[in-house]
Amino acid sequence: MFSRLSVKSIRPLVSFRSLSSGLTSISPVEQSHFNQLASSWWDVNGPQRILHKMNLLRMDFITNTIKSHLVLNDYNNMVNVAEEEIYIPGFDVGLLDDAIADSVLQDQETRRQELLRGMRLKCLDIGCGGGIFSESMARLPYVGSVKGIDLSEEVLAVAKNHAALDPILEKKLSYDLQAVEQIDESLEQYDVVSMFEMLEHVDYPAEVLKSAIRLVKPGGWVFLSTINRDFISWFTTIAMGEYVLKIVPKGTHTHSKYINEKEIEEWFDKNPEFEVKESKGCVYLPAYGWKFTENEHVGNYFMAIKRVTK
Amino acid sequence: MFRAIRHLSTVSAMRLADVVIIGGGPAGLTLASALKASRSTSQLKVELIEGGKLLEGLREFGNSPPEDITNRVVSLTPATVNYLEKIGVWDFIRYERIEEYDNILAYDGVTNSRIEFEHVGIATMCENLNLQSALLAKIEDLGESGCPLDIHDSTKVVGIDSAGNGWPVVELDNGERIQTRLLVGADGFNSPVRKFAGIESRGWSYNRWGIVATLNFKVDSFRQITGWQRFLPSGPIALLPLPNDMASLVWSTTPELANVLLKLSEEKFAAMINAAMKLDPEEMKYLYKLAEEDDNSLVDSISWRLSLFNNKLQPEQHELYPLEIESLVPGSRAKFPLKMSHADTYVGPRIALVGDAAHTTHPLAGQGLNMGQADVQSLVNCIETATERGLDIGSTLALEPYFSERWPINNAMLGVVDKLHKLFSTDFTPVVMARSFGLDVLNTVPFVKDFLVDRMSSK
Ligand SMILES: Cc1cc2nc3c(=O)[nH]c(=O)nc-3n(C[C@H](O)[C@H](O)[C@H](O)COP(=O)(O)OP(=O)(O)OC[C@H]3O[C@@H](n4cnc5c(N)ncnc54)[C@H](O)[C@@H]3O)c2cc1C
Ligand SMILES: C[S@@+](CC[C@H](N)C(=O)[O-])C[C@H]1O[C@@H](n2cnc3c(N)ncnc32)[C@H](O)[C@@H]1O
Repeated sequence: MFSRLSVKSIRPLVSFRSLSSGLTSISPVEQSHFNQLASSWWDVNGPQRILHKMNLLRMDFITNTIKSHLVLNDYNNMVNVAEEEIYIPGFDVGLLDDAIADSVLQDQETRRQELLRGMRLKCLDIGCGGGIFSESMARLPYVGSVKGIDLSEEVLAVAKNHAALDPILEKKLSYDLQAVEQIDESLEQYDVVSMFEMLEHVDYPAEVLKSAIRLVKPGGWVFLSTINRDFISWFTTIAMGEYVLKIVPKGTHTHSKYINEKEIEEWFDKNPEFEVKESKGCVYLPAYGWKFTENEHVGNYFMAIKRVTK
Repeated sequence: MFRAIRHLSTVSAMRLADVVIIGGGPAGLTLASALKASRSTSQLKVELIEGGKLLEGLREFGNSPPEDITNRVVSLTPATVNYLEKIGVWDFIRYERIEEYDNILAYDGVTNSRIEFEHVGIATMCENLNLQSALLAKIEDLGESGCPLDIHDSTKVVGIDSAGNGWPVVELDNGERIQTRLLVGADGFNSPVRKFAGIESRGWSYNRWGIVATLNFKVDSFRQITGWQRFLPSGPIALLPLPNDMASLVWSTTPELANVLLKLSEEKFAAMINAAMKLDPEEMKYLYKLAEEDDNSLVDSISWRLSLFNNKLQPEQHELYPLEIESLVPGSRAKFPLKMSHADTYVGPRIALVGDAAHTTHPLAGQGLNMGQADVQSLVNCIETATERGLDIGSTLALEPYFSERWPINNAMLGVVDKLHKLFSTDFTPVVMARSFGLDVLNTVPFVKDFLVDRMSSK
């Protein structure tokens, strides 16, 4: 099997005056597919129900990831190192006896909440579609702003109209018809760059990834979700999802475009500035919703990649 | 010109909220304090609207409660008490006015078969006012520590409309309008919110009234602290223990008998309670007739019959019946229509129903308020999770889990209570035999009984 990410650019990156000419551009087939979905995007019982449901799990994934990688003891900012170290030990809590461990865990949780409350993350959502994820992100108290970009005008119009219904989003959320490589990294950098359920729709995912990671601040995060290229994925998303259960609109997926978790991991391995911190498989159970699995190499998966500070 | 000005002024009188709760009953107040006590939801802008006069009375109760126990008393399950502890409301309860008991003795008036439920802390008797004033105290305490909440009492909702963005707009009788992300109907069984949302509620009236009163026991011998319930053909009568040798009465009966009983003097009414806990249904029929004629021999006739009854009891059999009632707390009698109803759904876009707005039940199992507390707990969970996930808390996606968690449980509970009511309010012989069999079987098969006890006292 060849890797979806190893395809070398066959032509140099062209200028992006015209949106349809780039390697990261949207194909006409994909575009017309999403345009058709635009009007029912926000009907939680409609064709995008599965995406709405998946959003619940990925919001948990993101908050948990960000929370669990917070640095609780910032030695540079401590007034009294000895005292604060007792407050939150940096060692393995499992070694303590239960009562103490409990109270340490509680202290840690309180500290995490505190740190989170103080944050105002700047986020970029690439391939934001109708804005299911962008809106949720923008409502979080620890998010300062979200910019959603997509290449489908129709879908973006839906996103803008829907965001206008909720006053809380007014100052925090904006949308732009823009290709990711059009963003100048010397002007715009983000704490969180997300690509959810979009890499499987692009022709040159490596190019999209490459353009996306330029925009991540040191210490910032890339979050993505997509689908492994395996039999299970074909069976669940295309055979079952689109044809048997009809819970996903026909033509949503093209199996050959799926990307394996391993491929993304290897791609990031070549870049010392980035570390894959979390990777989790998930599966949709019709009567239940989305659920994490033990195996990120099968079916759908979420990844969290951190730009490590040097 | 005039229109334009009017239009402008109404626009400026509109304010925004995240959650508007209609109804300051137990369900509405619990929801308000739970939302403010939760780390995830304490920053939401919440307003509570109550049509009746509420705050002054509750504060007064909190500061200097009356000596006598007030007449609306509910029995709280351990699950309810646990939840109130968890959200920090229980600290504000006046403990000297509640009574915890471990034992419920239910017996059948027609066949005299019995069932005894025993379970540590099976229930806690608590005045509605004690609970509501603790809830208000907690809300005010949270307000002082930076999580304020607006409560408007003596303010009726006169209309509910939809704004351009689909959010409900609540119109108050003082002319103010609130546009809200989520509108919660905690507005009792006539729920205006349910009607606005076009949610159908199905059910029926039991053609029964519930008479409540607060009573003083005549303390002439010892009884364990016990809840007593006797099933009469016209409906169950229950005496539930309160502090200081008092008891709370819930007597469900037909509208005709309720009228008769409510017209009696308090002395005669107390005598009728004593009769109803012990005497044979045939004798009761005769006594109801005397009562209807307001016959002056009623009290004497009852005393005579009771002394005959008591004399026939073996010494150890006395404990199978409650102590007799000495008197009523003056003016504590009241009546309520009993109905069973269940809304088709509890949620809609930007709408949720909790408590009696979603379901009403026969009080024989003392579940009504407790079901509402469990609703609130589940809804708060949903709102917390949705907030943490950045969802719009008014979307059905956020609210659906509340409905799917609570509706089936409430429906099962309504069904069981409804069937109990039907089973015990007849004196048709085959049914009576079956039910006598039923009760005795329950009493001897620990598994079935434990299941019932579990249900009543579920943690
Ligand atoms: C005789 C009897 C005995 C009972 N015993 C028990 C028991 O032992 N255990 C138990 O668990 N339950 C018991 N219950 C049931 C219990 O009392 C109810 O289930 C409980 O009070 C319901 O609470 P709630 O907050 O949902 O509604 P309610 O207490 O009915 O409160 C609704 C509130 O909404 C307000 N409202 C309505 N419309 C408007 C409007 N348009 N604008 C503003 N405000 C409005 C009303 O003024 C009211 O204050 C008993 C009930 C009866 C009748
Ligand atoms: C399945 S939707 C996912 C939407 C959103 N990220 C979510 O998960 O809710 C995929 C989106 O990717 C967009 N898309 C496809 N190819 C793209 C490309 N090359 N660049 C940017 N967006 C693209 C589509 O227009 C569509 O809105």
